[in-house]
Amino acid sequence: MYNILVVDDDKEIVNAIDIYLRKEGYKIYKAYNGEEAMEVLKNEEIHLIILDVMMPKKDGLETLEEIRKNKTIPVIMLSAKSEDYDKIEGLDLGADDYVTKPFSPLELIARVNSNIRRYTKFGALKENLNDKTYKTGDLFLDDETKKVIADGKEIKLTATEFKILKFLIKNKGKVFSIPQIYENVWNEEGYAAENIIAVHIRHIREKIEIDPKEPKYLKVIWGIGYKIEDIK
Amino acid sequence: MENIRKSSLLRGISYILIPIIVFILVLCVVNEVLVRQYGNIGNKEEYLKTDQFAEEYYISVISNVSDIKEIEYENSNGIEIYNATRNYYKKIENQNIYYEGSKETRVGYINKGINYIIKDKNTGKIYTNIQITELDKQIQELKNSSVYWYYENGEIKTNIDKISQNNVVYNYGITYNDYDIYSSFNIDNMIEYMLKDPTYAIYSKLNNISQFFNNKLSYIIPIATILLAVIIIYLIWSIGHEKGKDGITLRSIDKISYEIIIMITWFIIVLLICVIGGASSINSRIPVDFVQSAYIVSYLGIYVCLLIDVITTIRRIKAKEFWHSFLVYKIWNKLRQKIDEYGGKENSTKKITFFYLMFLAIFFILINCATSFLGLVLLVAFLVWIYIKLLKYNKKLNEVQMALRDIYEGKDDVYLDESEQKGVLKRMAKYINDIAGGFSNAIEQSLKSERLKTELITNVSHDIKTPLTSIINYVDLLKKEEFENKQVEQYIAILDNKSQRLKKLIEDLVEASKVQSGNVKLNIEDINLKELLNQTTGEFEDRFEKKNLKIELLVPTDDVIIKADNRYMYRIIENLFSNITKYALENSRIYIELKRESGKVKLSIKNISSEKLNISADELMQRFVRGDKSRHTEGSGLGISIAKSLTELQNGSFDIEIDGDLFKVILQW
Repeated sequence: MYNILVVDDDKEIVNAIDIYLRKEGYKIYKAYNGEEAMEVLKNEEIHLIILDVMMPKKDGLETLEEIRKNKTIPVIMLSAKSEDYDKIEGLDLGADDYVTKPFSPLELIARVNSNIRRYTKFGALKENLNDKTYKTGDLFLDDETKKVIADGKEIKLTATEFKILKFLIKNKGKVFSIPQIYENVWNEEGYAAENIIAVHIRHIREKIEIDPKEPKYLKVIWGIGYKIEDIK
Repeated sequence: MENIRKSSLLRGISYILIPIIVFILVLCVVNEVLVRQYGNIGNKEEYLKTDQFAEEYYISVISNVSDIKEIEYENSNGIEIYNATRNYYKKIENQNIYYEGSKETRVGYINKGINYIIKDKNTGKIYTNIQITELDKQIQELKNSSVYWYYENGEIKTNIDKISQNNVVYNYGITYNDYDIYSSFNIDNMIEYMLKDPTYAIYSKLNNISQFFNNKLSYIIPIATILLAVIIIYLIWSIGHEKGKDGITLRSIDKISYEIIIMITWFIIVLLICVIGGASSINSRIPVDFVQSAYIVSYLGIYVCLLIDVITTIRRIKAKEFWHSFLVYKIWNKLRQKIDEYGGKENSTKKITFFYLMFLAIFFILINCATSFLGLVLLVAFLVWIYIKLLKYNKKLNEVQMALRDIYEGKDDVYLDESEQKGVLKRMAKYINDIAGGFSNAIEQSLKSERLKTELITNVSHDIKTPLTSIINYVDLLKKEEFENKQVEQYIAILDNKSQRLKKLIEDLVEASKVQSGNVKLNIEDINLKELLNQTTGEFEDRFEKKNLKIELLVPTDDVIIKADNRYMYRIIENLFSNITKYALENSRIYIELKRESGKVKLSIKNISSEKLNISADELMQRFVRGDKSRHTEGSGLGISIAKSLTELQNGSFDIEIDGDLFKVILQW
C-alpha cells in the first residue's frame, strides 16, 4: 500500500485523480495548495506527490523546492503550461516527471506506477546486474536472460526489436541513421531498410516509453537518426 | 604624444627659439653676403695682397688728379662750376698748397687709408690730404711707407705688384704725366673709419666669430633651417591643443574678427619697418649700438605681430572657425538672418531674389575689375565658387530625394542628419525623419500587437486547459460506468470525441499563433530529408495501413541534405501525413517525391481527397488568419497553416495545388 499526495487547487481534478488511483490500489491524500501539501507531508508517510504548478498561496515550484530540501520522493508536476522551458524549469528544480493538462488518465496512471516502481524496487533490480546487462537511466537490457526492464516493468520485445535496442543501448548516446542500424543489426547493406527500421523503432518506443511521442529513452532525431539517451 | 602636443612649456620654448634661430640664420646669411662684399678685410696682410685692393687703390689715387684738373680749370677761367670737389680743396695762401678738406670727400672706404701729395709740375702747386710741414721730408716718408705708390719723373714706383710700372694697363682716362704723385696706404686708418659703418661693424664682429669657429659658420645654415622647420611643424601640430581639454581651445583673441586682427598687427609691422628703415639711413651720426638695439627691438616687435597672426590663424582653421571669424562673414550672416526674419523662411522667393541680386552686384563689380589680372582671378574664383555651391546644394537635394525614395520603397530605417542640411533642406530633412519615424513606429506597433496576440492566446489557453482536464477525466470515468439507457453511452462517446478535439484545437491554436508570429526558437542543422521521410512513413505506417493507403516513395539514391530544425521539420511532415490519414480516399496511393530541381530541393506529396474540395488552396493555407469556411469533423484545420508557417520560418516555400480531387503539396528549399 503506497501513499500518494495529490495537490491541485481544482478540487474536481483532485477528485478525478483520486478515483483513478484508488482503483490502482493507492491510498490518496489531498491538498489544495502548497501550504496544505507541506502540512500533509509533515504528518504522513508519502511515497509520491502529484503537484500542480499554478496554485494560490504557495505555487507548485516553490513547494517543490521546499520538498527537495529534505525529501527524495518522486514528484510528478502537473501543469497547463506545455512550453519546453516550463518543463525544463520544473525538471531542473528536481521534479521526476512532468504531465501537461489536459492529461489522459491512463498516462497519468502509467507515470505514477512507473515512478513508484522505480522508487521502491530500484534496489532489488540493482542486485541482478551482471556484465552482460546494459543500462541507461531505469532501462535495463540483459543479454543473457534476454530480458528488458523499463521503469521497473518487464517489457516483451520481438527478436528484431531486441536486437535493435541492444545495438542502440550498447552504443548509448550515439546517433545512428536507418542504414547504419540496418547494417549493424543484420550485418548486410541496408538497401531495403527504408521504413522497416522506423516501424520497429516506433514499436520499441511504444513498449518502453510511457509517452512514445515524447520518449525518455529512445530518442528520434528527425532527418538524422535514432539514439538511446545516455542517462546516469 | 598627447602630452607633448599639449605642453605649453614646449610651445613657449618654441616661440623663443624661432627668433633666435632666425637671427642666427640671418647672421649666417648676412655673413655669407658680407664676405662677398668686403672680402677678407678682416685679415689685413691678405687684404693688401688682393687684386681688388690694388685696383681700387690705384683708381683712388689717380682719381685725385682728375679732381685737381677740374679745380685748375676753374681757377684759370674764373668760371663758377658747381663741383662738390671744389669745396673741399682749400688753398693755403702763398704757399701754393691745397689740402683736401676731409677724408670723407671721396666715396669708398679705401680712400680713408690713403695719404697723398700731388705736385703740378707746370705750376708747382701742391695738392694733398695731409698737413704739410716739411714737404720733402713728408714726401720721403710717403715713399718709405709699408704700402706706397708714387709716380715721379714719369715712372711708377710701388711695392704693390699689380699696379707697378709694368702692370698698369688702364689709366681710366686720366693722364697724370704732368704731375708727380706720392701716396701711401695705412690700413688701420681705413678700418678705423669703416667700423663707424654698422654693416661693416656687424661684419667685423661676425668675422671674429667666424674666425673663432674656423670659418665653419656656413654649416650652421642647413642645420638651423632644419631645426626651424621642425619647430614650425611642431607648432602647427600643437597650436590650439590645451592641457586638460579635448579638441581646439579658442582664446579671446580668436574671437576678434579676423580682418581686424590682421589690420592691427600689420599696422604695427609697417610702423616698425619704418623704424628700421629710418635707423639704417641715419648713418654714422647715431651710435652704432643704439641703431643695433633699435633693429633688435623692431624685429622682435614684427616677430611678435606675425606670431599672433599665425597662431590665431592656425587655431581658427583647426577649429573650423576660419571663415566664420571674418567680419565680412558675420555681416553676411546677420544679413541672411534678417532676410529669414522678413518671411524668407517659409517662402523662399524673397531669399532667392536677394541672393540673385547679390550675385548680380558682385558679378558686375568683378566684371569692372576684370581688366586687371587680380580682378580677373577674383571673377573666375567667384564663378567657380558659385558653381561649387550649386553642386553641393544639388548633392544635399539628392540625399533628401534618396531618403524619400527609401520611404516610398518601405525601408524602415530611413534617417537624415539634420545638422548637415541647411535652410529649406533642413526643414525637409526634419519632416522626412518624422515621417520615417512614424513609419518604423507603426511596424514596431504591429510586431508588438502580434506578440500580444500570441501571449493572449497562450494565457487564455492555460485557463481553458484546466476545466478541460476535468471534462476529459470525468467523461472517461462516465465511459466506464454501465447505463441502462444505451442512448447515454452514445452521448458520452460524442462528449469524449468532442472534448478530445477541443484539446487538440487548443494545442494547435497555441502553436499556430506562436509559429505565425515567429515566436519560436529554431535550432538549424544539417538534416537528411530522405532519412526524415523514411522515419516519418515508419511512424505513420499503421495509420496508413488502417485506411489501406499505399505509399509510393520516390527519393534519390544519395542523401538529400537541407538546413533546418529537425523537430519542426518533423512537425511539417507529421501535419501533412496526419491530414492524409484524415482526408485521403481509402485504398488509394500517396505519391511522395523528393528531388533536386535547379539548385533547390523539392518535396511533393500527392493524394486523392475522399471528399470534394470546395475550398481554394489560398484559403486552405490562410485559415487561421481568415477564419474557417467549412469545419471538418476531425482535427483543428490548423495543420496546414502551421506547416506553411514553419516551412517559411525555415526559409522554404510551401504551396498547395488543388486539381479536382488531386491534392498536392509542394515544399521547396
